[in-house]
Amino acid sequence: MSDPELQIPQGWEDRAVDGWEWATLWEAVEEGDHGYTHDRVQQAIDADIDPRVILDDGLFPGFNLQGDRFSAQIIFIPEMLITARAMKAGLALIRPLLAANDEKPLGTFVMGTVLGDMHDIGQSIVTIMLENAGFNVINLGTDVHPDRFIETAAEEKADMIGFSALLSTTVYYQKVTIDEFEKSGHRDKVHILIGGAPTTQEWADECGADGWGRDAMEAVKLARKLIAADRGAWA
Amino acid sequence: MSDKVQLRINADDGQEKSITAARGETLLEAAHRSGVDITATCGMRGRCRSCRCKIIAGAVPPPTVADTVQLGHEEIRERFRLACQTRIVADTVIKPMPPKSESGHQLLGGQVETTSLDLVSGVEKIAITANTPVSEHHQTSDIEEVFMAIGDRLKSRLVSGALLQDLPAKLREQKGALTVTLFRGKIADIEVGDTTGKCYGMAIDIGTTSIVGSLLDLETGEELAAVGMLNPQAPFGADLMSRIAYAQFKPKNLAQLRGKVLSGLNDLVRQAADKADVSAAHVYKIVVVGNTCMHHILLGIDVSYLGLAPYAPTVRDAQTIAAADLPLKTAPRAHICTLPILAGFVGADALACVLATRIYDSDTVRGLVDIGTNGEMVLGSKDKLIACSAPAGPAFEGAQIRHGMRGAVGAIERVSISDDVACQTIGSDAAVGICGSGLIEACARMSDARVLNKMGSIKSTAELPEAVSARIRKGDHGQEFVLVWKTQGGKDEDISLTQGDVRQLQLAKAAIYSGVMMLMKAMDVSADDVDELLLCGGFGNYVDIESAVRIRLLPEMDPARITYAGNAALMGAQMATLSETEIDRAEKLVGTIEHVALAARTDFQELFIDGMNFGEPGLQVVSQHDEAVAV
Repeated sequence: MSDPELQIPQGWEDRAVDGWEWATLWEAVEEGDHGYTHDRVQQAIDADIDPRVILDDGLFPGFNLQGDRFSAQIIFIPEMLITARAMKAGLALIRPLLAANDEKPLGTFVMGTVLGDMHDIGQSIVTIMLENAGFNVINLGTDVHPDRFIETAAEEKADMIGFSALLSTTVYYQKVTIDEFEKSGHRDKVHILIGGAPTTQEWADECGADGWGRDAMEAVKLARKLIAADRGAWA
Repeated sequence: MSDKVQLRINADDGQEKSITAARGETLLEAAHRSGVDITATCGMRGRCRSCRCKIIAGAVPPPTVADTVQLGHEEIRERFRLACQTRIVADTVIKPMPPKSESGHQLLGGQVETTSLDLVSGVEKIAITANTPVSEHHQTSDIEEVFMAIGDRLKSRLVSGALLQDLPAKLREQKGALTVTLFRGKIADIEVGDTTGKCYGMAIDIGTTSIVGSLLDLETGEELAAVGMLNPQAPFGADLMSRIAYAQFKPKNLAQLRGKVLSGLNDLVRQAADKADVSAAHVYKIVVVGNTCMHHILLGIDVSYLGLAPYAPTVRDAQTIAAADLPLKTAPRAHICTLPILAGFVGADALACVLATRIYDSDTVRGLVDIGTNGEMVLGSKDKLIACSAPAGPAFEGAQIRHGMRGAVGAIERVSISDDVACQTIGSDAAVGICGSGLIEACARMSDARVLNKMGSIKSTAELPEAVSARIRKGDHGQEFVLVWKTQGGKDEDISLTQGDVRQLQLAKAAIYSGVMMLMKAMDVSADDVDELLLCGGFGNYVDIESAVRIRLLPEMDPARITYAGNAALMGAQMATLSETEIDRAEKLVGTIEHVALAARTDFQELFIDGMNFGEPGLQVVSQHDEAVAV
């Protein structure tokens, strides 16, 4: 296992303006300096760099580096959250511009912790990461009844549902929630991801989920992969 | 192909047990079903190595992912498997071989100071001489003659059928010379002759990991025997949640857990009576405390919903159950009394700690913390008490730590780092693993030495001594720090602390730390305002206080104001055994203690995340009593 390294986007110089430098932003996101991140992204916008380029070349490298380190346990929840917050500060500036450019979110993701479970941290990290990755995330919070997942999915024509369970006593409700989706007739219209400390790939298979994320980073990778897969359409 | 296969299990003592298993069930399921205890610390989730078995003969099943992760390729090749993951496909012979050493536990006593107790236990033994009914004209009965002889002290005429059945002979054997035992004014026992003076009680604390008990003379308050055992439910999961998950929506499993604890209690009472050389039949009052889950399982209450928000208990009031109804066969004349419960995860044990530490009577703000898989904490003074629980998980018990073990012989418990690392083990044996208190101390010293940074990452820095730096390496499980080299330890591999282990500890200690901080916040006091912090419970008493403050397991306060309170839950149970006043007090207190639900507080998450950080590297805790040393 080797330490993750900063993945510098190929040919970034050609996509920026003359004399532009991203290195300070990569570092700011890595270190979670949200003040600098905000300012530098604003400078990039003022310099007329394409918002998509700012996101891919400016924000993602530092963010992905921390994400990989988080997966390797080299950094932990507090550092990941600090980086996520910095990322969010930059994204807040870019998102309206992306929308104006008619860039659509990668998909709509409904997120929450299952019924009976009050744990918030895990799902809130995944939410931030998914938003950063370009998903439109509807976060239902904790202790979410299966019916609410289903209603929200139908209202929002969701592409994907994710629910976490942090207790060995509440993983049971991941299965219950998936069963309820089956009964509602909407199961084939959404991809369902599960996660949480007591969960495993075996459990994901057993309860009928489409995927399992070991950690937030893996959940995001999986979401990106699954979004392209076929599924039924909402009416 | 038949659905049944033969499984033979070789036990340590050379015995072999042969069982018929269903094809496709796991080795562990088959073993448990037929009464062979194989410990599954992680609750059969393939997350630890406690159920490791060797396939001695028969088909060697392919390894699962969990097998490979937990055991490594080497052990897989040597035919080791996890019993909880391995499905039986054909006739097989296995030998359970848990990594050493998961056995042994330490007894933590604590004799209650009885002078300030109201020694009214509710049990009275009275020698009487009852008349035998003599005249057919004057209609009376055997039991009415007994009532008459007891006089005023009898508060109820209800008598159990069992006591009536053999009363005729007892009454006539020694011309009506009897000893009647009253419990709360009701007849609990009738014996021939004079047995006054033989009046005992027991206090029992049922912890998730171990059960401890104390046999008491109810008249003098003296402790006659101290006993303890591992909780026999342990094979079904190390922490509360895996225990609840096992019984959740499965009445059979609940009954199995209940059976385990009942037979444990029977053994414990017998053990105590033997040790004190008294008859267990003269044990009349048993006060049992424990967390809500242990309490409910003992009473056979469905715990399915205890594990789900809002984690509501089924009953909170103190209960009294006759031994025959529990059933507790060893002490047939006893009544089992439970203390009240505050909340789903603040149980009767917490109430017992409050009784023992008397913080309800304190002029200044004091706190008590029970550091365990489910941490319970209470803060306050005579004006107000608040409580909360924090799920720390089993890291403090060495579970889900790569080389973790319980506090038994060979466990690393002290660590020092200067030019190199030196470890001290329990019993000074060759090191075989690390226990919870050792884990805390290792992280504290690693922080001092800058092997760990504030965020808990194991990092090699230029200023480290060469011998220390050589211990930081990349292993199969990521970054790790070697505490004991294979050549110096008692294990056939290096004993190291992995980055993952440190992360487990960070989550566990953040739970305790943020719980205490949350109570302070709710009470609007700072750590400086807390006059004393008492550490209750088995684990708390082995923790090095300065190390615990150093890594921010406990709040940053002068370690001199943090004290060990012994097994306060057991002491509280002893007090309630000896004094009915204490049971009444607990009942009144439970209505006044405010429960703070951490998960429901929006500001908790901030505290929890902050609580994951270790203190600044290189600095040591400053105590007013010791010279401050800056490294």
